[in-house]
Amino acid sequence: MPQPRHPGSNWLVSLAQIEQPVVASPSRARGITRRQALTTAVVTGVGVGVVRLLSGSMQQIASPRTGTTTDWISPLGSESARVMQLLRRTSFGYTQAQLDASLSDGFNKTVDRLIETKPMEPPVLAVANTPGGRFPINQLQQWWIDQMLTTPTPFAERMTLFWHGHFTSDYRKAADDTFMYWQNLTWRNMGMTDLRSMLMQVTTDPAMLRYLDLATSTGQSPNENYSRELMELFTMGAGNYTEDDVREGAKALAGWTIPQPDTYATVVVDKANNVTRKLPVYSGQKAGVLNARRAYKGSVTYLGKTGPLDTQGVIDRILAQPATATFIANKVVQHFVAARPSMAFVKNLGDTFRRSKYDVKTLMHAVFTSPEFAANQSYRSLVKSPTEFMVHAARALGVTSISKLIAGSGSGMGQSVFDPPDVNGWPNNESWISSNTVVERVNFATSAMAQAKGTLPPATDAVHKHLDGVLSPQTAKLFNQAADDRARWFITLASPEFQLK
Amino acid sequence: MSREVGINQLKRRDFLKAGLVFGAGASGLAAGYAAVPDAFARAVYAAKKEGMTNDNILVMIQLAGGNDGLRTLVPLADPALHDLRPKLAGPMVSQALPLNSQYGLNHNLGGIKGLWDKGKVAIVQGVGYPNPTFSHFESIRIWETGDPTRRQVDGWLGRTLATNYDSNGHPLTGCACGATDAPGALRDLQATLTVIQNQKTFGFTGGTEVEAAVGALYKGTPGIYGALFDTAIATATETMATLRTSATTYQPMADYTDKVQLVYSSKNQLAAALQLAAELIVTGTGVKLLHVTLGGFDTHYTELNRHDDLMGYLDSAVSAFYQDLAAHNMADKVLIATWSEFGRRPKENASGGTDHGAAAPLLLIGDPVKGGLYGDEPSLTSLDNTGNLKFGVDFRSVYQEILSGHLGADATKILGASFDQIPFLKAPVAV
Repeated sequence: MPQPRHPGSNWLVSLAQIEQPVVASPSRARGITRRQALTTAVVTGVGVGVVRLLSGSMQQIASPRTGTTTDWISPLGSESARVMQLLRRTSFGYTQAQLDASLSDGFNKTVDRLIETKPMEPPVLAVANTPGGRFPINQLQQWWIDQMLTTPTPFAERMTLFWHGHFTSDYRKAADDTFMYWQNLTWRNMGMTDLRSMLMQVTTDPAMLRYLDLATSTGQSPNENYSRELMELFTMGAGNYTEDDVREGAKALAGWTIPQPDTYATVVVDKANNVTRKLPVYSGQKAGVLNARRAYKGSVTYLGKTGPLDTQGVIDRILAQPATATFIANKVVQHFVAARPSMAFVKNLGDTFRRSKYDVKTLMHAVFTSPEFAANQSYRSLVKSPTEFMVHAARALGVTSISKLIAGSGSGMGQSVFDPPDVNGWPNNESWISSNTVVERVNFATSAMAQAKGTLPPATDAVHKHLDGVLSPQTAKLFNQAADDRARWFITLASPEFQLK
Repeated sequence: MSREVGINQLKRRDFLKAGLVFGAGASGLAAGYAAVPDAFARAVYAAKKEGMTNDNILVMIQLAGGNDGLRTLVPLADPALHDLRPKLAGPMVSQALPLNSQYGLNHNLGGIKGLWDKGKVAIVQGVGYPNPTFSHFESIRIWETGDPTRRQVDGWLGRTLATNYDSNGHPLTGCACGATDAPGALRDLQATLTVIQNQKTFGFTGGTEVEAAVGALYKGTPGIYGALFDTAIATATETMATLRTSATTYQPMADYTDKVQLVYSSKNQLAAALQLAAELIVTGTGVKLLHVTLGGFDTHYTELNRHDDLMGYLDSAVSAFYQDLAAHNMADKVLIATWSEFGRRPKENASGGTDHGAAAPLLLIGDPVKGGLYGDEPSLTSLDNTGNLKFGVDFRSVYQEILSGHLGADATKILGASFDQIPFLKAPVAV
């Protein structure tokens, strides 16, 4: 299986010398000394060099806790490092300008700005007007990735991705890409509102009505799919309800249907035989419609109470369960703070969330300003999802033209947007790491470098601005051995450090 | 380079044992592995521990989403089926391929029916476990870990790898084909395994310079994910070297096609995944435990076409796989087994589909199999209090026969208990 050299990657040759054995020739001697010094410097916490950030502050890297190389040396004692971690976790990385603004604002003001700034709307996706709602999915994927790459409000995109993985639907079963487009618009607009509104919205979302079959459920013969996942995956978690609750909930939720189109367009589907079909056309985003004749007429016993119950009633019963706030808080923490959070931390956040009447802004503010978020143990404790990794790489390189590459590269790393693996959305953290996915991440770095034409920002700056100057001895060694800046950029993007946030 | 990596990872492995890393991750050793040089040779797999030697191979096919057992093995003569499924029962009974007067296979399982006629298919009926959960994810975890009490975190195949094969440090012993992440069944902190989505593109696009640089980059990586990253790259690099050899010698002797018209497209290319499995098997890479997945079985809606199409896809992929193995004279070593987290509700719903169920049949296919029906047929008239089929065979009975009878492993140790025997193997290995 010969590996073809990637076109336009002559810079890769400069990597070739890296693995050459170090010989004790006079011409090499200085290099060895320098490398040894650098390696030692990193391990003992000085970093690759003392870093001067643009704001003029000196980056302080904390002393190593143990003097071993088994954990990263956390720089989170410094506010600039905390700001950079905040941006890595909330913004798909950052451009130079965004970093400068945040460093000048400081941590708390940046948190407030992230949470309070109104999301910038993406441009209208014209192809979403296609009658029948079917168009190549990569156009929808690229449209969203373009927005991630260029938006001045990346936190809104990060939250949209979070909710897309939580209240997930996939384009295959939804069978209408226009509905998937609407769902994406919904999470951008509602991603920082309140869980009660969001649950009503997602229950009647056309893509979701199709994806979990509520659109075909009737009170007389209910389909349990949505009722179960609403409790198991969207709100409460397994073990907090009974099978009877699933069945009774299915009755109470039945009756929703896909919204009626505004008009139909006659489209030629087979030119040779002049076959035409009438396909639905919507003038704008619509929610599902309740058909009272399909709904359940009687009373149900649901989550401990008996009586007539409509969809809002189902949601309010779910919100009355303490498990709901804890479940959502736990998921948020695993995406934004720590892969294995303490139960006490999660419970605290859950209590805050519930007391705020499930206000997402209150929850996210509590998450970002928690001591756990800034703790040394939190440093590099999360793995970037493939989308976060790729968009961050592009933003760090200052390249905004590679949304096609990004849209096409995600599946080999385990994440293709609008196409989650199953109703549980995407897994996180260690699940992103396998022999296949890590190779694909490296291959993306190779392709991104090939497509990043022109002058790049200095790679040494990138190490400080995106990796806090905290490198493993191996990464530091390879970085310093690389013959040119493009090779140094490749080392930076392909490094384990860059996969973490 | 691989030796050095191995030494590093040995240290990291001790570090893992100290509990500093998550329990669910995959990691392992790459030390001491040498590629089997002579392709087409019938590989001898030296299992190092406790004197076990056995060159059998297992391929597990996951039918993800909950496969409808009643549409897979169709009860032909039970009038209750028509009461429970007024819309679905008619065609599924009339078109079924009869095995006897009572049962028929789904009409799209023609290739598997051909293998049945040759005595190469065992069907175990009514497989499940006590107090079934109807959650996909909980039930998948139960099947993957082999533990209905949900305390075990490692996969049953991962534990098999760690207990029996890990010491030879062979990264291709366990392999998930056609996937991007490791299935839970193969996961174990101490197990070595490889994940390959597509062998044709599995490699560094930047060529040998990148391969060398990345090999050096992912060494001694600090932090809680360090061992996972380093192992992933070391495993991938060694697997690429193996695949470079196997790709030059493997000639498929069957027609694998993924151009299957499904009601909606599948994320998993089953035929391609099984062709990769065949390549790894027939070129003597030393692979032992393989896992592939076909998704789309969660047929809550318009099950009629959807499930039949999936059956047809399964049938064509498995038939090609068997034919390929047989043509390479390896069929006697390979046991193919299907699994799914649950069956489906006997009663159909308003959407022309079925909701989550419980017990269902498993298919065991291959030359090692003693063909026939095993287990008692679940009753359609005496359902449990959730309206589902009662199980008669604990799924761990099937695992036990696979582990001890086919792989020659200590099933009791791996499963933590002993289960009733289901004698579906022609010549079980003496343990």
